[in-house]
Amino acid sequence: MDATLFDPALLGVIVAAGLLTWMTRVGGPWLIARVRLGPAANAALEATPGAVLVALVAPAALSRPSDAIAALFVCLIARRVPMALAVALGVLAVVVLRRLL
Amino acid sequence: MNTITLPSPVSVPREVALGAVHALPILAGAVPFGLLLGSLAAKAGLTPLDMGLMSGIIFAGSSQFVAVEMWGHGAPGLAVIASVLLVNLRHLLMGATLAPRFQGVPPARAALTLFFMTDEVWALALRRGGQLTVAYWFGVGLTLYVGWLCATVAGTLAGALVADPAAWGLDFTFIAVFLCLLAGLWTGTGALPPWLASAGAALAVHSLLPGGPWHILAGAVAGGAVAAWRGRSATRGPEAG
Repeated sequence: MDATLFDPALLGVIVAAGLLTWMTRVGGPWLIARVRLGPAANAALEATPGAVLVALVAPAALSRPSDAIAALFVCLIARRVPMALAVALGVLAVVVLRRLL
Repeated sequence: MNTITLPSPVSVPREVALGAVHALPILAGAVPFGLLLGSLAAKAGLTPLDMGLMSGIIFAGSSQFVAVEMWGHGAPGLAVIASVLLVNLRHLLMGATLAPRFQGVPPARAALTLFFMTDEVWALALRRGGQLTVAYWFGVGLTLYVGWLCATVAGTLAGALVADPAAWGLDFTFIAVFLCLLAGLWTGTGALPPWLASAGAALAVHSLLPGGPWHILAGAVAGGAVAAWRGRSATRGPEAG
């Protein structure tokens, strides 16, 4: 453990990275408010949430058979039970399936 | 399109509580990763205060893993800053989809509110659609913020004590949460083409550049391109319930 309380050089990096990260968060609505979108761009933007979610999960969910089966299971129960239960059952399923497969 | 608003005073505590409750399953999955990040940070030479400042100021999990990893290997500060920016560029696309909610919201309030936008906050906000309130947003955001801050600092204090979250299936929490949110966007087979395009692009890019944020951007762009080409919306927008 360092004797120092914190690293000033690292703090500079953190502040700069944090400022840029904050700008990525504020930038989306800011840009959209200043750009007029046609129908095609609008359709693209409306499809973006689903596409981002798919891209977030696809590599990990399909990384091995156990995870893919558990992912399919979650998809099937997601609209039938509360989210917390679906998540808990999904984690339980993946633990069991990883042992078995 | 409803703008994100403050609910009537009576329902503010209820909205905050609802957001906090909705954040709990996500928090349960995030805490082990926060502990893991903290223990990695301790090995990389960060102090608990370093870690707390990083979580409090950047507040973006995957980019913090990248930053800690690079800093531990003596990467130049500018390279670390650029990498964090690249990992977090996806926020631009996510924020764009929430734009209707922030129309006419005073810039100072929007800037503060959006500071708390993570993948998870964004996804839950999306699910709330037109009923999204500032109180709900902060209920989700502050729960995850405080939890992430505490978990990462605790992990740094504890050092290398934390086991691998994957051994407990906790890495699957995020997959399950995102799949539940995705299921909420399902409107029938018309939703499939952009999703399949996104999955294909994400898998292809991920196999070439594993670990980076590129597969997320590739999937978003591919899915958006297919939707644009079809010329009409295949999935419901943020106003869907």
